[in-house]
Amino acid sequence: MEGLAALGSAFAGLASFGTLFNVAWATLLGIFVGSLPGLTATMGVALLTTLTYTLDRDTAILVLICMYVGAIYGGSRSAILLNIPGTPASAATSLDGYPLAQQGRAGYAMALATSGSVLGTFVGIILLVLLAPLLARAALSFGSFEFFWLAVFGIVISGQLTAETSPLKGYIAGLLGLMVAMIGSEGIHAHVRFNFDIQDLNGGIGLIPAMVGAFGFAEVLTVMWRAKAKLVAKRKDEDRVLPRLSDLWRYKFTIGRSGVIGTMIGIIPGVGEDIGAWASYAAARRRSRERKMFGKGSTEGLTAAETGNSAVVPGALIPALTLAVPGSAPAAVLIAALFIHGIRPGPMIMVEMPDFIYSVAIMLTFAMLAIGVFGLTLTRLFILILRVPREILMPIVFTLCVIGPYALTQRLFDIWVMVAFGFLGFVLRQMKYPMAPLVLGIILGSLLDKNLRRGLMLSDGDLTPFFTRPISAVFVVLIVATIAMSIPSVRAFVSRLFGGAGDRS
Amino acid sequence: MSLDSATADRITAVVLFALGLAMLVGGYTMDRLEIRQIHPASIPGLLPMILGATMMLCATLLFVGAARRARAEAIEPISNDGGESWGRMAATAGLSALYALVLVGWLPFFFATALYVGLFILIFTWPGSGTRAGKVKVVVIALVFALVTAAAISALFRYGFLVRLP
Repeated sequence: MEGLAALGSAFAGLASFGTLFNVAWATLLGIFVGSLPGLTATMGVALLTTLTYTLDRDTAILVLICMYVGAIYGGSRSAILLNIPGTPASAATSLDGYPLAQQGRAGYAMALATSGSVLGTFVGIILLVLLAPLLARAALSFGSFEFFWLAVFGIVISGQLTAETSPLKGYIAGLLGLMVAMIGSEGIHAHVRFNFDIQDLNGGIGLIPAMVGAFGFAEVLTVMWRAKAKLVAKRKDEDRVLPRLSDLWRYKFTIGRSGVIGTMIGIIPGVGEDIGAWASYAAARRRSRERKMFGKGSTEGLTAAETGNSAVVPGALIPALTLAVPGSAPAAVLIAALFIHGIRPGPMIMVEMPDFIYSVAIMLTFAMLAIGVFGLTLTRLFILILRVPREILMPIVFTLCVIGPYALTQRLFDIWVMVAFGFLGFVLRQMKYPMAPLVLGIILGSLLDKNLRRGLMLSDGDLTPFFTRPISAVFVVLIVATIAMSIPSVRAFVSRLFGGAGDRS
Repeated sequence: MSLDSATADRITAVVLFALGLAMLVGGYTMDRLEIRQIHPASIPGLLPMILGATMMLCATLLFVGAARRARAEAIEPISNDGGESWGRMAATAGLSALYALVLVGWLPFFFATALYVGLFILIFTWPGSGTRAGKVKVVVIALVFALVTAAAISALFRYGFLVRLP
């Protein structure tokens, strides 16, 4: 009841013509960014952050959330029409979306993707409102020992789940991020580390220039490196651009399940939308009666993937708001934006700003409604957007990558940081190192460092409390199990053990 | 050319090992702030040392894994025929780095941006064996886009966000 009242007052505070205008342009921009291959949600949020610092707090967070929701949804457009996911979140969407487009049903595939995204976001918002206050309250009992292990767990699980080939590369990416975070003044004694006598490094590497480089410039390079994509031109006359309610009703369990899976994946630190989509897709395939159609143009598979990736967005905001630990790469940038606008995410958020979580839920609801309206009415426009030549778009994107980070601090040094991270991001991506753990490492470095040393000071150098306090012990078990499961022989042993148990029963 | 290969993994492993070692040594030799009488468990170099050692361990595992991968690649070589172009990538990287690291700060932002956008469009859309009319058209398009983009972005940041442009 208290939550409903808070939601009502958040809605009353935000409902205005100005809000609707901001929701409209920011969501459209988000869909535009997401639908163009090479422009991702993280890049969109990072670039837009540099444009929001003159806006008031609520407007800034609103437009960033609309960009995030819009971009994750927009990725489905190019996944369906080009077989290239606009964002990594839509990789699972292309499995069934592109075959549907080849059958001349691109319009209907996009309509289903829109419905799935709207419903997935809706499920995520409900869970955000229910779970975030509980998690914030639980996090109040976290001390230095627990926060230390939370940061380690975030890096390990993110490295494990986001690595394409080997979890080791995920762990290395996380370590690189943590190493980057070691540069500059540390948070306990204000001692400057690894600045190599460069004054600009005293404050550390800025997250926004690093993210704009790793996700913006690196993607410009990747887009120009790749071959040009070809748009599917085939279209049947009976193709429709509105979803059939009967189809949505038929997939109600798939939608509900994918929404919950997506949100839960979102809560896991640094994992993100792509894993949410794959997990929802796999679960839908396992339980579907039309399993054989998956990968060949299954409408259920498409709905599951899109519901799953969109539900991750509210899910990723749950730990971001309550623990200051991002659930995805765009959420990491959003945390930086929250700090820029004077909001301190973390366990104290329910004490200092009890209404903020509900305001975020209302902002997500606005964004959700906007993707529904734009997605179902502007199908033709988004097809036109995909025809913008990359040779014209990419220099504009790079110009924004240059001026965006500069605008925040007015230092040329941040442009150099952006360029360096662009090259690093491109090379790491080519070598199949995931970017999410790197981002998470940069965000969590300070948390890890401060809580390790603070914990050791509290215990007078004794390591025992790190392992014996109940929540710490749970984290330790989870971390050990996660790392152990990344070793092929251990994984084979465990699957043999459980497979064997299954056989006996 | 693939950056995702056993050879690339081996080279990366060596680089990462060196990085880990540098961090370990850097953390160990870092000022322990005894003069400020801080708690010995809170020395600033503690986490860098741990990270350095962990990176060295991961680099070693990567090197060992690369040997296994090399054996697999010997049986089934990596194929790369996705139409990627390192030439296009190098031209983009070179031009973009020139713009960001040299032109911005040396020329006024408007001129630097117009030059970059114009050159970018010209380089990547130039019809090598096209007609004279086709070439003129590309030059005009590049010029118009360059000026419009530079003016729009400069005005947005200068007057919209009150940024003193470089």
